[in-house]
Amino acid sequence: MDWILLLEWVIKGFALVMILLTGFAYLTLFERRILAFMQVRIGPNRAGPQGILQPIADAVKLIFKEELTPAKSEKFLFLLAPIVTVVPAVVIAAVIPWGTQFEAFGRTITLYVADINIGVLYITAIASIAVYGIVLAGWSSNNKYAMMGGLRSSAQMISYELPLGLSFVLVTLMAGSMRPVDIVEAQRGWWFGLMQPVGALLFLISILAEVNRAPFDMPEAEQELTAGYHAEYSGMKFALFFMAEYIKMIAVSAIMVMLFLGGYRELPGLQNTWFSVDQTWWLGPIYMFLKVLAMLFVMVWIRATLPRIRYDRLMSFGWKVMLPLSLALIVITALGLVLQPMWALAPYILTPVLSLAAFGLTVLLLQNSLARRQHA
Amino acid sequence: MNLNLLAILPEALLVLLAVAILILDPLFKADSRRVNLGWLAAGGLTLILLISFLAGQPAQNELTLGGMVRFDWFAFAFKMFFIFAAAITALLMMDVDALANRAEAYVLLLAATIGMNLMAASADLVMLYLAIETTSIPLYVLAGFLTDNDKSTEAGFKYLLFGAMTSAILLYGFSLLFGFAGTTNLAAMAVSLATPTVFSLGALLLVLVGFGFKTSIVPFHFWAPDVYEGASTPIAGFLSTASKAAGFAVLLRFSLTVFPQTGSQWQYTLAVISILTMTIGNLVALAQKNIKRMLAYSSIAHAGYALIGVVAASTLGTASAVFYMMAYILTNLAAFAIVTVAGRVIGSDDLRAYDGLSRRSPYLALAMLVAFLSLAGMPPFGGFVAKLLVFAAGVEKGWIGLVIAGIINSIIGVYYYLTTLKYVYLYRMEGEDEESYPIPVSRPYAIALTVLVAGVILLGTFFAPWYDLTVKAAASLF
Amino acid sequence: MTLELFLFFTLALIALVTAGGMVFSKSAVYAALNLVTNFLSVAILYLLLDAPFIALAQVTVYAGAIMVLFLFVIMLLGVETLRAEFDWKKIWLQAVLALALLVEGFVMLFQRMGQAANLPFNTASVLTNPSEMAKVLFTDYLLPFELTSILLLVAMIGAIVLTKQVKKRSL
Repeated sequence: MDWILLLEWVIKGFALVMILLTGFAYLTLFERRILAFMQVRIGPNRAGPQGILQPIADAVKLIFKEELTPAKSEKFLFLLAPIVTVVPAVVIAAVIPWGTQFEAFGRTITLYVADINIGVLYITAIASIAVYGIVLAGWSSNNKYAMMGGLRSSAQMISYELPLGLSFVLVTLMAGSMRPVDIVEAQRGWWFGLMQPVGALLFLISILAEVNRAPFDMPEAEQELTAGYHAEYSGMKFALFFMAEYIKMIAVSAIMVMLFLGGYRELPGLQNTWFSVDQTWWLGPIYMFLKVLAMLFVMVWIRATLPRIRYDRLMSFGWKVMLPLSLALIVITALGLVLQPMWALAPYILTPVLSLAAFGLTVLLLQNSLARRQHA
Repeated sequence: MNLNLLAILPEALLVLLAVAILILDPLFKADSRRVNLGWLAAGGLTLILLISFLAGQPAQNELTLGGMVRFDWFAFAFKMFFIFAAAITALLMMDVDALANRAEAYVLLLAATIGMNLMAASADLVMLYLAIETTSIPLYVLAGFLTDNDKSTEAGFKYLLFGAMTSAILLYGFSLLFGFAGTTNLAAMAVSLATPTVFSLGALLLVLVGFGFKTSIVPFHFWAPDVYEGASTPIAGFLSTASKAAGFAVLLRFSLTVFPQTGSQWQYTLAVISILTMTIGNLVALAQKNIKRMLAYSSIAHAGYALIGVVAASTLGTASAVFYMMAYILTNLAAFAIVTVAGRVIGSDDLRAYDGLSRRSPYLALAMLVAFLSLAGMPPFGGFVAKLLVFAAGVEKGWIGLVIAGIINSIIGVYYYLTTLKYVYLYRMEGEDEESYPIPVSRPYAIALTVLVAGVILLGTFFAPWYDLTVKAAASLF
Repeated sequence: MTLELFLFFTLALIALVTAGGMVFSKSAVYAALNLVTNFLSVAILYLLLDAPFIALAQVTVYAGAIMVLFLFVIMLLGVETLRAEFDWKKIWLQAVLALALLVEGFVMLFQRMGQAANLPFNTASVLTNPSEMAKVLFTDYLLPFELTSILLLVAMIGAIVLTKQVKKRSL
C-alpha cells in the first residue's frame, strides 16, 4: 500500500467529517430560520449578518456550560453513551458517493471515502448499532423519564429498521448490486424514486423515525418525558447528542438521495449534455448538495407541519402498515423485473402503477379501520 | 444439479395445508371453528398421506436438492409414519378445547411434521440441524400451549430449556465434526472419519447428546416424564411417538452412514446406553402412580429396545428398528388416545382413577387392552413382532448380553402394564355404580382409536407386507 | 509483524477479554455490553478473512438486533445485578467439561490448519462476493434456506401464541 493512497484516504475522511460538522452547525440555523419563516417569525438574526454566526455563539455557550453528572448514575456508561451516539452518525456517511472522479496530481481521485460491494448492508449495520447510545444514555442516567425515553426511542428505531431494511432490498433489486456507486449509476436514465415512488415514501417515513425527528420525536416529547433519554445531560455531552441527531439528518438525507433520487447524477434527460456529471465532474457534488438541501428542507417542513404521533399508534403503524406494505412492494418490484425481458418498460410503468395501487389500498384499509374504531 | 422435487412432495403439501389453515381460520365462525379446523387438518393430512404414498415413492436412492436430502425408501417410510401420527394427533386434538379452537396449534403441529420429515431425509449437517430445530421449536410451544395451566407452562419451559441446551451441544458437536471432516455431507464425512481418533469420537459424543434428547434415551431422558405429564395429552402422544421416531430416523441414518463398519466404539456406547435406557425406564415406571408418567417411562424403555436394532447395524437390525418404530407409533398413540378420552371425563391421570373402566366403557377398555398388551410385547399384537425382530437382529450380530437384558426388561414391563389393566378390568369404582358414569367417545376419537387398534392387530398378524416395507427402507441405507 | 497479524492479535485479545467479561460480570447490562463488543470484534475478524457480508450480517443481526432486545429485557425487568457468586467447588464438573470442549476445539483447529474445506462451492469467491453467495444460497442451499423461513415463521407464531392474552370466547 503506497503512502499517497493512505494520505488520500485520510484527507477524504477528514474532509467528510469536516463537511458533516459544519453542515451540522449550519443545519441548526437553517432549521430555525425555516421554522421561523413558516411560523411568521424572524428567527435568530443578531449574531452576524442574517444570524450567520449564531451556531458559533451556540457552541461557545454549550462549551462553557457546567456539566452535571447525576450522583447515582452509572458513570462510565453515562460518559460512553454520547460518544456511542455520535460515532455511528459520522461513520455511516463513509460509503455515500458524492461524485464521480477526477484527475489531479497525476492520479484518479474518487469522490467517496469507501467503496465496498455491500455498502447498503454497511448502512443497515451502522444504523442498527446507533440504537445503543440512546438505550445506554437512558439507562445510565438512573432517571425514570430518561429510561422511558430511551426505551421508547430505541423500540421505535428497531421497529422502523425493518421497513428501512426492506427499502434497501427494493433498491438492491432494482440496481442489481449493493455497491453504492453501482446504485447511483443504475439511476443514470431514470431515478429509482420514480420507479418506486411508494418505496421512496416509506423510506422517508422510516428515516424520520430512525433519526427520531418530528412527527416521530417521542423521546423528546416534553409534555410526557421532559427531554427523554438526554434529560440528565448538559453542556458538551448534551451537545454531542444534539450533534448526532443533526449529523444523522444529513447522513440519512444523503442516503435517501443516493438510493432514490439519483445520487450525484443529473436530472433524468440531461445525460448527454454539458450538465451531465459524465462530462463535468464537478457538478456531481453540487447536485448532491442541492438534493440533500432539498431533503433537509422537506424534513424541517414536516416538523413545522405535522403534530407528534401517539406512541402506540406509532408502533402499530410501523408493524401493521409499513412492514406489510414494504413486503408487498418487494413482490411488486420483483414482478416488474421478472417481466422486463418480455416487456422492456415493465419496471418503469408496471411497478409504479402497481405500487401506487397497493398504496391506495393501504390508505383505504387504514381509513376504514380508523373509522370503525371511531364508531365503536 | 440434481433437482428432484418429488423428494419434498410431502413437505410442500404440508406447507400448503398450513397456509390454508392460517388463511381459512379467520373465516370460520366461532361456534364451528373447532370442528372445521380439526377436520381440515386431519382430512388434509390424510389426503397428503395418500397423495405422497401414491405419487411420491422414490424410484431409486438418490442424493438430491443440492445434496441436502436423500430421497430413499428409508426417508419415505418414516415420512409416512410422521404424517400418519400427525393425522391421528389432529383427530385427538379436536376435543381438547384449548387446542382445537386455535388454528396455531394445528399449524405448529404441521410445522413439526415438516421438520420431522426432513430430519428423516437429511443427508447434510446444515439441513439436519435446521430440520431438528424446525421440529423442536413448534413442539416446545405445543407442550406449553395451555398458558393458563401451570403444569403445561412448566412442561413447555422445561422442554425448551432442555432442548436449547442439548441443541447447543449438538451444534458444537456438528461444528467440530465439520472441522475434523472438512465437509458437511454425511457420506463424505464417513470417508474422512474412517479412522476415528479420540477427539473425533468426542465430537460424536456431543452429537449423541442431541440425538439422545430427541429419542429421550438415558441419561438424556429427564425431561420426558414432566413434559408428558404437563402437556395436553394428544401433544404428549405426538411427542412420545413421532418426535422419538424422528430421533431414531436420524440416529439410524447417522450411525449407518458415518459408521458403516461394525464393532466400533460408537456401537459399544450405544449398547451400554440401550441397556441403561431399558432398565431405568422400566424400573422407574414400576413406581409410577400417574398414567401419563408411567407411559413416559415406558416410552423411555421402548427407546432402549429399539436401540438394540440400531446397535446391530445390519439390514435386519435397521429393518427391525424401523418396524419397532412403526409398531410403537401405533401402539403408543393408541395408549395416549385412550388417556385423552378417559382423562377428559375422569378429570385425572391417576392410575386409580381408571378403576372399573371396563364397565364404564367396554370398547375403550378393549382398546386399552390391545394397546397395553402390545406395549408389553404380547402376541398377536404389533409390539410382539417388533420385539421379536429386534432381539433376532441382536442375536444375529452376536449381542447376546444385550438381548438378554432386553428380555429381562420385557418381563419387568409386563408387570406394570398388567397392573394398569388390573385397575381397568378387575377393580370397581367407589360405590360400584359404573353404569351411571359412562365415558362417551366422540366421533374423531372413535375413528382414531379404530384405526390405531386395527393397525396394532394388523402389524401383529399380517406382518409380512409391513416387514417388507421396513426391509426395503433398511436396504436403502446400505 | 504485519499489519494484519497485529490486527488479528489485538481483536482476538479484545474478543477473549470481553467474552470473559460477559461471563464474569456482576451486572447484566455490562455482561450484555461485553457480548456486544465481542460480536463487533468477531465481525472485524470476519472482515480480515475477506468475508464482508458475514461480518456486516453479524453486526446487523447479533449486535444490532438481538443484543438490543436483550438489553431491553434486562432494563425493563430490572434484573441488572446478578448473584454471581462463583464457588469453584460447586462448578468443578462444568469447568472440566468446558476445558474438555476447549481442548477439542483446539485439536480440531490444529488438525485442520491450512486445509481447505470440502464444500460444494468455492469458499473464497462466495465469501467475498455477495452475488456469488446468493447463487449458492438459492441453488445448493435452497432447501435449508426455505426451511429457515418456515422455522422463523413458526417461531414467531409460537411466540405470539404463548404471550398473547386470549379473550375467553363466550359460548
